[in-house]
Amino acid sequence: MSFLQPILLIGLPLALLPVIIHLINQQRHRTVRWAAMMFLLDAKKMTKGLARLRQILILTMRVLAVATLVFAASRPLAGGWISLAGGKADTLVVLLDRSASMEQQNLETGESKRSTALARLADLIEKTASGSEIILIDSATLEPVKVTDAAALRDLPATAPTATSADVPAMLQKAVDFLVTNESGRTDIWLASDLRQNDWKPGSGQWQALRSDLAARKTVRLFLLTFPSVESNNAAVTVSEVKRRRTPEGLRLVMDLAIRRQRPDAATGDETIPVEITLNGTRTVEEMTVSGPELVRLGHTIELGSGNERGWGRIDLPADDNPADNHAFFVFDEPATRQTIIVSDDPLTAEAIRAAAAASTDPGVTYESTIIATADIARIPWEETALLFWQAPLPAPGTPSATLLQQHLTAGRGLVLLPPSDDGGAEIFGVKWGDWIGDEANPLKINWWRTESGLLANTRNGAPLSVGDLTLFRTRLYSGETQSLLKLESGESVISRVIPDGPSSEGETDSASAANSLYVWGTLPRTDHSSLATEGVVFFVMTHRALEAGADAVSRARSREAGKTALSGYPKMEALSLGRESDTLLAPGLAAGAYASGTGEDDRRLIALNRPAGEDDTRVLNPEALENLLAGVDYRQINDEVGSGSSLASEIWRAFLIAMALALIAEAALCLPPKPEAEINPLKSMT
Amino acid sequence: MSRDSNRDFLDPTVLGKLLGLQLNARSPMMGNVSGRHRSPVRGSAIEFAQYRKYVQGDDTRRLDWRTWGRTDRYYIKEFEADTNLRLCLIVDTSGSMGYGEPGSTRLDYARRLSGTLAYLAGQQGDAIGLYSGSVGTYRETPPRRGPQHLGLVLDQIAALKADGETGLIQAMHEAAEKIRQRALIVIVSDFLFHPEPLREAFQHLRFRKHDVSVFHLLDRQEIEFTFDRPTRFIDLEGGASLLADPTLIQRRYHEAVKDYLETINDIVNHSAVDYHRTFLDEAYDQVLARFLMGRNPKTARTAR
Repeated sequence: MSFLQPILLIGLPLALLPVIIHLINQQRHRTVRWAAMMFLLDAKKMTKGLARLRQILILTMRVLAVATLVFAASRPLAGGWISLAGGKADTLVVLLDRSASMEQQNLETGESKRSTALARLADLIEKTASGSEIILIDSATLEPVKVTDAAALRDLPATAPTATSADVPAMLQKAVDFLVTNESGRTDIWLASDLRQNDWKPGSGQWQALRSDLAARKTVRLFLLTFPSVESNNAAVTVSEVKRRRTPEGLRLVMDLAIRRQRPDAATGDETIPVEITLNGTRTVEEMTVSGPELVRLGHTIELGSGNERGWGRIDLPADDNPADNHAFFVFDEPATRQTIIVSDDPLTAEAIRAAAAASTDPGVTYESTIIATADIARIPWEETALLFWQAPLPAPGTPSATLLQQHLTAGRGLVLLPPSDDGGAEIFGVKWGDWIGDEANPLKINWWRTESGLLANTRNGAPLSVGDLTLFRTRLYSGETQSLLKLESGESVISRVIPDGPSSEGETDSASAANSLYVWGTLPRTDHSSLATEGVVFFVMTHRALEAGADAVSRARSREAGKTALSGYPKMEALSLGRESDTLLAPGLAAGAYASGTGEDDRRLIALNRPAGEDDTRVLNPEALENLLAGVDYRQINDEVGSGSSLASEIWRAFLIAMALALIAEAALCLPPKPEAEINPLKSMT
Repeated sequence: MSRDSNRDFLDPTVLGKLLGLQLNARSPMMGNVSGRHRSPVRGSAIEFAQYRKYVQGDDTRRLDWRTWGRTDRYYIKEFEADTNLRLCLIVDTSGSMGYGEPGSTRLDYARRLSGTLAYLAGQQGDAIGLYSGSVGTYRETPPRRGPQHLGLVLDQIAALKADGETGLIQAMHEAAEKIRQRALIVIVSDFLFHPEPLREAFQHLRFRKHDVSVFHLLDRQEIEFTFDRPTRFIDLEGGASLLADPTLIQRRYHEAVKDYLETINDIVNHSAVDYHRTFLDEAYDQVLARFLMGRNPKTARTAR
């Protein structure tokens, strides 16, 4: 048990006062010379048991009354899990989920899940953990910060709302690393989260190591302050695929606009939502009718008008349960040249690719394609290359070529590894070339290809690509952790997307985009290898999809997910528009908004930061899944509600006063004299 | 009345008031001299008792000549024989008799009662004896007449000391054995012991045809037990002391007292004992007046 005024507990020995008074009274008895001892002895014999018990009970009640009074004066706390679980910890680590979904609000109180959690934790720390070392690790920065004033927890920039997503296993790992580094003693870890699956990443390989780490540390206790409730009245807007098109009618902005709503009648009812569209500061409102839970407008067009060749925009929805998903930002500029470089000594392959990559799919965009021999790698214009086809032995890690390729990927540009005819080279990005299989006489049979995403995904209208019509004669096997996009009947992958190896790190955004832009093709667009070149549609689509994935990196207007490193590498960043005014205080990259970098016309870049798409996924971990994730870990879960007024540690002095009153009543009852009618007057009875 | 200071238990005023009352026995007494009290033996006193036929050897002076003249037969006229009374005082001197404030202890009260009775009896010419004692200190002064003996008895009463355990039962049995002729036995005690042995002792005295009177001296505090805070009770008869919270045991105490008094009542009723429960806050002259009047047939009704 913990107390707000523990100093007053020194008065606890006062509880012995009744006993002391009793003993003093016993000592202060008067002495009487008595003749009628026979009556006394008889009476004493008769009353020995009950009277003694009664006296002990009376004394106990008096001791209880004084003790409870002292306890009440010391302002005891209940529900203080820290204290209930066995005393104050030396270190208290607060893990705060600052993801966009934590901004779900209680409209009556204006408190969000994040602010409610902070208020609870600040209150708890103030009441029960004064003197403990307080460490804050937030999901956006993952940096341990020492907090000296628990009351200021809500006002720290490190606890402000962000548009990022959280990585709960990474946060826990950070906490464990901190404890190991600092050799912390008894530690309580408080994790405040909304239990979204997107943040908890139940499929992450980190959990196993975390479980064993946490279970092994007997001095660490984990407390989950969770807010699993989902918005009941919310609409979220997202924009993607924002492209500036030049048409005979003028410049237009084409984008995919989606509005997802969560209402009690979302499945059946129609709703007209006033959508505010801001373009370079000019606002217009367009009413959109949402039927069902989602409105998706693919290719939504906005007329740019003159003078709006570049700029930024935002789409806003009316206020609802979660203000963090009510806006989406976009930026646009003159499309960058789609530069494709083919590093190959195989003219047939290189030419086929060059032809496909140079063919224009967008009249407003310039497509260029260059073939460079493997001996002339130095000629590659890395900064302007959106997509690089690499048909050469893989460079060993650490070599200049490997470093350049790594930087190319890190910048978000596209890379397709093609099989060299003979020497496969070393292993890079976890990929290593193997043997060639197949021959022209026996075509390889295609068994399956990925239709929902990737290079061979269905078209926008849902029609599948004619991948089944392709004929494959030869393909080179490769090893590595990849996501297969095209498989043979024999099970080998022909085309794959490389999955990043190892746990996600601080530069996850770039790693992820790098992984998304790194492909391995086992076959070549040559007639002796496949019909890719002759059945040109699939090859063309594959090439341009890979090109589009990498094109964003060279574009002067980029759209990225908010994150710690989202704006890294951009000098002189300036916010054009932010989700909320207070976001200017946040670290770069954490707030949704439209940003501009650079000063001159040439180096000026526009960046739109939005919350990750996963933040709109409302699925939460169910109790069984949570139990599985933390199996073997000593943890306690406290479910809370947004904006509720309850406290993790509440004062219970009233209960002690009631206990004192009850003790006094019991004492009074025990002290009551016998009933008058039962009283015996020996003289009266004799007369 | 003695002028000695150690006889201050005798109050001349009280004696003056009580001298008008006669100390009577409820049954005939066997005295050795003529006195005021009825005797079971026929004598030649004033009060006619009966006629009987003359037998040889009778004193011819007691022949009723008038009857002889009328009937020509010899009759002897007999009269009630008046004799003196033997007053035997049995005073309990156990430690419990020392209860009370100095100068007004239970033994002091017993002195006043017994001393005054002895004086009254002495003034009537009756013999007075004193039996007293506790365990180990039994004293006995056989009943005799005369002022000198009265003085001796009064001195002994004055010298009584409360000490030790009670020897009253033994003293009663001793008195029953040693007092051969009928006597008025007055017992002054607190009877603070388990009363059953009293039944046998009273019956022993009654068997000897003694007229037994009892003054049961009690203090009201002993009965009501109105202490309100823890008290250490020290046994006046030398037993172990006892620390008790009276508020806790009062009820049981009253129950014990009630049982005791009921037993005493039963014993005295069945033993035909003239029982007087006397509280120490009562004026002893009134107690004695009530006692004396109760023994006088003419005033007995008033006394009750």
